[in-house]
Amino acid sequence: MIIQFLVAMVATAAFSILYSVPRKNILAGAVAGGVGWIIYFTLEKVGADTIVYAFTSAFFLGVISRICAVLFKTPVTLYLLPGIFPIVPGAGIYYTAYYFFMNDMASFTRNGLETAKIALAISFGIIFALSIPHEIFGLLRKLQREEK
Amino acid sequence: MEESKKEGLVFAVDVGALMLYAGAEVYRVNDTIIHMLKALEIEDVEVYVLSNGIFASTNEQSIVRNVTLGPIHLGKVSAINQLSRDLSAHKINLEEAKQRFEEIKHIPTAKDYVLILASGVGSGAFAYIFGGNAFDGLFGFINGVLLEAFFLASVMRTRSRFIRNIFGAAFVTILTIIYIKVFTNLHMGKIIIGSIMPLVPGIALTTSIRDLFYGDYLSGAIHLLDALLTAICIAVGVGTVMSLFRMLGGLL
Repeated sequence: MIIQFLVAMVATAAFSILYSVPRKNILAGAVAGGVGWIIYFTLEKVGADTIVYAFTSAFFLGVISRICAVLFKTPVTLYLLPGIFPIVPGAGIYYTAYYFFMNDMASFTRNGLETAKIALAISFGIIFALSIPHEIFGLLRKLQREEK
Repeated sequence: MEESKKEGLVFAVDVGALMLYAGAEVYRVNDTIIHMLKALEIEDVEVYVLSNGIFASTNEQSIVRNVTLGPIHLGKVSAINQLSRDLSAHKINLEEAKQRFEEIKHIPTAKDYVLILASGVGSGAFAYIFGGNAFDGLFGFINGVLLEAFFLASVMRTRSRFIRNIFGAAFVTILTIIYIKVFTNLHMGKIIIGSIMPLVPGIALTTSIRDLFYGDYLSGAIHLLDALLTAICIAVGVGTVMSLFRMLGGLL
């Protein structure tokens, strides 16, 4: 579990470099990506429905990214874009292609729909996270100021 | 129109154009331009941003910028964000802002070998967390390294993104088939999935969601189409190699 988290963090950090995220923001993005993946991984293991784990992980990824954005006063994209990669349905694209070219149409349809479902659930997870009123995150900044 | 206002308008739109090129979403570009214009005391401006262009106009003057989809550079987006904040807070004036903008334009991407390593580490790590064993991770790493090196080779830099994705996916699939034929105990699927992660349209999908969320349906649709086509290109690249291999009598 811890290894899964750490490897997901490494993967997210590596992609942050590919997309030229400033060095000081990479760690926060990596944590966001790691947490997103752990939620996805755990819920998948427990046997939750695809929609549930894709949505939940995307939602928490979005919330963590927004917290980081407020704390470091940067665009939320710095954390959200690299962090999304562990939960994006890369495997879905692969299996869909695989079964299509293997002429297994039943599996092709199932995987294709599953991929679309995950993409849609991720979208809604992020949309919900983005819809949280900005004032709630504003409170965080206030707390940060008081600490100083 | 006064010269200084013209200068300010051109500057704000140029900054917005770079931001859009570096991969910012429409809403942020729009917001940034308007904030900067406000700080420069330019009123009565209409700004219209699309994912591939910016239109800005006052009653005396209008500017259009055509922006292509460029390589993602979040460092530039972040730096421009800071620039716009400082300008809005009147910490810097137009001259200083221009100077900073010149610097932002030249923020480099990481060196080639760093990009190659990052791609390798990313692919390897993904092959591992998606259920592969340590060896799958190792070969995922090798694939990631070779894939990025393949892209950085000057021949591939200029080609269209479709060709790039199809060939990139085909390239890692060929390599992976070689590995599984030479070594045992490898999982073909896991290695390929890890290796295609640098190509997977995670950014396009997310940007599209964000555009749609803010009501920029046209730009959202453009990015969504981009994500879908990229996914199809990857699938075609992987699939073609597999069918060819089977046609030649290989077993997968």
